[in-house]
Amino acid sequence: MTHGSAPQADTPHELLATVRDLTRQVRVAQRGTWFPLLVFATVALVAIPVYRYGPYLDLFHTCRSGDDQMVCSGENPTELGYWTVALVLAYAAIAAFYVKRSRRRGVGTPIRPYVIVGIALAVLMAAVSIWLTFHPLLPIPADPFATDVVEIKAGLAAQLIYGLASPMAVIGLALLVLAWVERHWALLAYSLGYLVIVAILGSRFINSPSLWYFLPDLLIPAAVLLLGAAVFALFRPTAEAQN
Amino acid sequence: MTDHPANGLDDVVHQRVRLGIMAIAHQARQVEFGFLRTKLQLTAGNLGQHLTVLEKAELIHIEKGYEGKRPRTWVTLTAAGQAALRDEIAHLKQLIQQVEQADTAPTTHQ
Repeated sequence: MTHGSAPQADTPHELLATVRDLTRQVRVAQRGTWFPLLVFATVALVAIPVYRYGPYLDLFHTCRSGDDQMVCSGENPTELGYWTVALVLAYAAIAAFYVKRSRRRGVGTPIRPYVIVGIALAVLMAAVSIWLTFHPLLPIPADPFATDVVEIKAGLAAQLIYGLASPMAVIGLALLVLAWVERHWALLAYSLGYLVIVAILGSRFINSPSLWYFLPDLLIPAAVLLLGAAVFALFRPTAEAQN
Repeated sequence: MTDHPANGLDDVVHQRVRLGIMAIAHQARQVEFGFLRTKLQLTAGNLGQHLTVLEKAELIHIEKGYEGKRPRTWVTLTAAGQAALRDEIAHLKQLIQQVEQADTAPTTHQ
């Protein structure tokens, strides 16, 4: 292709093959998969102290006081606020990373749909979580101060709605969009695997007196995201790694 | 004869380098001169000539600017360019299909 002459010598097959090859090369140059995964792993790890030490802000007046204890229903508004702000900031950082890299490499970025969907899902997650606080789909015990273990039976639809309203699922769903915009089959497979892990974690019934009961729900997805970031960074094409 | 896909080919687009420029610009949305030069393995002068042809045909838009002190030339595909690329690929596929059908058609011997 050095001289770009004699186009008559190119058969339709060769021309189409050239178009496909160049398109593939551009897609590879546009990918930056490791960065969003690293950002979300960090966000999940930073959530650990927020869950453990963040106060329960009774913004929605769902807490009831007993003799010497207080029982609250619904998600902690502190945690919900953390996730909403953290996810929006994470998408802003991801957009900035892709745009900066795009300018440096001289090739545009297809990241906009991913960032828009990601932020929309984060806002939707916050709205659904608040709605669920007032309209819980799971039965609430008649005596909120009872210490007996009660098995909560939730329908599939309820489980699905609670699951999809979780920050970890929201991250995974947006990753599917990233896999589509980057035309990245490995990322698609990874995202589906990640969502399965998140779904398994979300379907567990937790009855634990430990103040660290939430740890697996944050640590396991964070570890999976970190591992994904490391693998995608390690196996990116040489030309990409040099930029 | 007028239905033959070869008649629908645009001479400006039906050229390996210019088709390459348009394919890259389509996927990249916006692409810089240096990236095009590297991917298409062209000299600056040669690439410049092809870009001029495409710009005159209003298939691409060229924007010159600076990033810091470094001059940068960005190329984007116009709406006409998007349509021309789509048409070219469709015609190429039709050509391949016609050739393959001709190859597999039974021949009669008298």
